[in-house]
Amino acid sequence: MKKVFTAALVILFGVVLLFGLSKSIDIAGYGDGLIPGKAADAYINKNVTSGTGEIIFGETKNAETGSANMVTSVIANYRSFDTLGEVTVLFLAAVGVSLIMGKNSKEGKMKKSGFILRTSAGIIFPVMLITGIYIFTHGHLTPGGGFPGGSMIASSFLLLYLADENFKLKITGFKVAEGLAGTLYVMVGAVGLIIGGYFLINFLPTGVVGDLFSAGIIPVIYVLIGLKVGSEITGIVRDMHKEEVSV
Amino acid sequence: MINPVFMIAIPLILAFLSLVAARIKKWLLLSGVLINIAILFFLEKGETVIGGFKPPFGINLILDNYSMVGLALAGLLLLAGVVLSLDKADKYSTVLLTALAGINGMLLTGDLFNLFIFMEITIISAYILSTAGKKPEYSFNYLVIGSIGSVFYLAGLVVFYSLTGTLNMADLAAQNLSMGTPELLVPLFLIFTAFAIEAKLIPFGGWVKGVYGNSNRLTGALFASVYASTVLFVFGRVFNEVFALSGAVQTIIVLIGVVTFAFGEAAAFRQVKMRRILLYSSIGQSGLAAALFALGLIFPAVLLVISNAVSKFIMFSITGKLREIYKTDDYTDLKGVFFSNKLTGIAFSISAMSLIGLPLFFGFYAKLNALTALFNGGNWFIPAVILLFAIVEGAYFIRLLIALWAPGKEGEIADKSHAVGEIRIFNIKKSILVFILSLVILAAGLIPDLAGKLISSDSGFMGGDGPAFTMSQLKGGE
Amino acid sequence: MIRLASLLLILIGLYGIFSSRNVIKILIGVNVMELGVNIFIISVGFFKGGIAPILTADSFSSAMKFVDPLAQAMVLTSIVIGLGITALGLVFARKIHAQYDTYDLGAIGGGKDD
Repeated sequence: MKKVFTAALVILFGVVLLFGLSKSIDIAGYGDGLIPGKAADAYINKNVTSGTGEIIFGETKNAETGSANMVTSVIANYRSFDTLGEVTVLFLAAVGVSLIMGKNSKEGKMKKSGFILRTSAGIIFPVMLITGIYIFTHGHLTPGGGFPGGSMIASSFLLLYLADENFKLKITGFKVAEGLAGTLYVMVGAVGLIIGGYFLINFLPTGVVGDLFSAGIIPVIYVLIGLKVGSEITGIVRDMHKEEVSV
Repeated sequence: MINPVFMIAIPLILAFLSLVAARIKKWLLLSGVLINIAILFFLEKGETVIGGFKPPFGINLILDNYSMVGLALAGLLLLAGVVLSLDKADKYSTVLLTALAGINGMLLTGDLFNLFIFMEITIISAYILSTAGKKPEYSFNYLVIGSIGSVFYLAGLVVFYSLTGTLNMADLAAQNLSMGTPELLVPLFLIFTAFAIEAKLIPFGGWVKGVYGNSNRLTGALFASVYASTVLFVFGRVFNEVFALSGAVQTIIVLIGVVTFAFGEAAAFRQVKMRRILLYSSIGQSGLAAALFALGLIFPAVLLVISNAVSKFIMFSITGKLREIYKTDDYTDLKGVFFSNKLTGIAFSISAMSLIGLPLFFGFYAKLNALTALFNGGNWFIPAVILLFAIVEGAYFIRLLIALWAPGKEGEIADKSHAVGEIRIFNIKKSILVFILSLVILAAGLIPDLAGKLISSDSGFMGGDGPAFTMSQLKGGE
Repeated sequence: MIRLASLLLILIGLYGIFSSRNVIKILIGVNVMELGVNIFIISVGFFKGGIAPILTADSFSSAMKFVDPLAQAMVLTSIVIGLGITALGLVFARKIHAQYDTYDLGAIGGGKDD
């Protein structure tokens, strides 16, 4: 009975939502999100501060951000302040997880894993780790970046947990990496304030669009994010792995 | 002059460092809240652009008198809370430092998506703090309701982005979308829902009872003062300067606020547990403030938020401590508890009487302002509701005060022997701190002109000469 | 149609949250909702024939038709926030289980206040 009532309420809400939204946005349509007139236009042409005309891959020098990946240019440069907050959200979640799980609870025991998993984990682990690092160092050129790269690093450690029931992580190193990476991110912003007059300004030369060493501070920030996200999610995995919850 | 971005950057750095240097995290927290207050008065007023990209492409921070009042209130109350409950705050040092960054960010930011992120930081810190109540089901409930709010906010924001192509507050305001039209009703309500959940408005405040009702000395005081006032300040900004309410939307939101006020005060009357009384009173005050903000009466609403935040801070702190000592917050079991704790008792009483709106207290000035503004606007219905429920409010607070002051049964001579105990509620330093805070309410009530001048929108805050509302000025320009 | 489907996902998530008493199922509902809103954001930033907003050897010029990078950046942020909330929610769930030995919120009986 309760479920029918809930369903009726949700359907009612859905009708109101769909009817209301259909007045402001084409609800059945798809593929009409044109760029002109939106803030995103300037992100694509990289002409927020000064118009440099057309941006050509592998040719344009010293553009505003120099990042071939435009999503990255938004995340790590135009709206880098958002990303600082985003990293903080994840940081806070990781801190919360470790606070709530309690300090004194011991690590959980898992079932002994199979032979194939045990053997292959040793081979796959370094490959995953390196791929994760590759992804966040190339965030300004290819899809990916600090967040996927960091998650990949964390999942490589999750693999170790799954493969070896006696595996224990020395967490202090990760805590230090997490704290320092976050501090450095803010420091990079503060250095920008001193050099360029704006917090988080891109104060390094941006180079040629498409080069590995280009895009100014974007790769620096993405490496820091990658390290931070990697150590945070690894910390979450480790804390969740604990057996006893201290009530 | 200090760049306002440090209001966010310094607590963040300290929060990150507190993970590395866990031993001194208590001192990092203390220095964080102190630095926050210290640099507050040297901040550069006006607009601060981040990353060197001009808005609406980059993110900007806006420091005007309005955000300044919000920052000062939240910062001072957080400082008082940390000092008063340092033993409890120690465990949550990292969380509180991050929360400080989130709160400052919420009050300063000039970008709606950036606001979303800082709001998430603030709310997630509240989820974590709420676990101090040892009732994980309520924290879970809060988390689920909160994330529904975030999803609605994002959905609404994206509709506005697709219509206007901007996320910047001033730029969006400059588009002069007519908010009364049915086209924008639903997206506006989606955004409103996110705020309504945090501002405890009916029917979105279902989480409050569990979270506030199981709060301790630290978390109760912070939730009811720092968090509540911040959300209301941002609510006021978003629904006055970014989306100027009008028409049916305005009527509905005002109505929701007034109903929340009536419900909160009526529900508080029926409670015997002190935390319950306070939480329903908080819901009521929050509803009234939201209604005033929605009507565009910013100055009285700000006064109300300030008066409520300071009073609730004192009352929740004392109630939390009483519960720690006597293992109950049922006031019928706490008769005469202030008999041997006069200083703390006076502080509690001043706060309660200010909330009722008795003359000479700051709450009176706030309510008087609200009533005058409403009458001037030709509104008779809301003043009638306010006055009617002021009687209810008076009844339950006076009843509470009498029980807490007078030991023994009715008709008996007040005597120490009938009081529940002679345990000191707070040690002498902490009682003095609480007492001084309550004196602020008294002083602000006695010299309302001074208080009004400090926070009014037409004079500079703290002697500064910055504009009261920057947003409306940014509207005209690029 | 994609927008309609994404809004439907939000509604399904809402139904899951309000109809279920199981903590884990409620969290799944929250995640379905977040998924729905993420798809909605992406759909708002897409136009027909648009290419992924990355300059490469093939799509080499900013004059070409790229889809909205800002919407994609917003989704990335939203996903990360969703991850954090889910992690916290799961820990709350474990805490509930440790305290009451059940994942069913109905069996707790609303929980008595202390």
